[in-house]
Amino acid sequence: MFPKLDPLLHSELRLAVMSILAEVRSADFSFLKKQTDATAGNLSVQIDKLAEAGYISVQKGFKGKMPCTTCTITPTGLEAFRNYVNALKDYLPL
Amino acid sequence: MTAQQSLAIIAESMNNSRKAILRSSAPYFFLWGILLTVVSLVIYFLWHASGHPVWNMLWFAMPVLGYASAFLLRKKEGPVPTNEIGRLLGPIWGTFGVFSMCLSAIAVFFVPMNISLIIVIILGLAESISGVVLKNWPIIVAGAILGIGGAVAASLLQGAEQLFLFTLGGILLVLTGLIIKFQYK
Repeated sequence: MFPKLDPLLHSELRLAVMSILAEVRSADFSFLKKQTDATAGNLSVQIDKLAEAGYISVQKGFKGKMPCTTCTITPTGLEAFRNYVNALKDYLPL
Repeated sequence: MTAQQSLAIIAESMNNSRKAILRSSAPYFFLWGILLTVVSLVIYFLWHASGHPVWNMLWFAMPVLGYASAFLLRKKEGPVPTNEIGRLLGPIWGTFGVFSMCLSAIAVFFVPMNISLIIVIILGLAESISGVVLKNWPIIVAGAILGIGGAVAASLLQGAEQLFLFTLGGILLVLTGLIIKFQYK
């Protein structure tokens, strides 16, 4: 029996965001936007969903006069990401 | 989305962000490499022309110029996150900077020593360790040549000619930047 994949991570953009944050731990919105090629609106919605689940934390502030949103993966998010990757292995043929 | 597609997204996202982060370190290797080359040549020509080693005091201007330029560069490039490799490279070169400035100050003001010999060794060491972190053999070998070969050369060369070791070190830093830029294109 295949393990159930986390539905929150089983989405292209959210998975890409979590993969980047698993690598860098913390990144600002513009870096995530550039790396994922997503629109600002869509990325913002998906970031909110990940934050609501406690997978990432979001800090909003300013760098100079420019607004700056920084996303950081939480221990819960990292654990969920690892579990998702482990679950994926069961779906792949050996 | 299939399992293969999920894995492909994970691999591509991690790989691309890793490349972007490492690529962003290349301009700093260019900056410090060019600065080291220029400062060493300027001091060489001033020392050679005047016959006085007092021009070596200009080395103390290098961290001021370097950190001010690095600050401006960071502002221009915008914020780039870091990863495990970036978190290692920064302290390696930061430690090199602190060691070389402290030893230079001690050599100039308190205990005379062959500072070129010492600095060329730790410069080569920092370069080789960077190569180990980046898993890049040309950088490891370049660091070893600079550190070991430079130590031998610093013992043999006298006076202003020792400065050419730092010119070589600067060129190697620029080459390291180029290797990083093309390796993580």
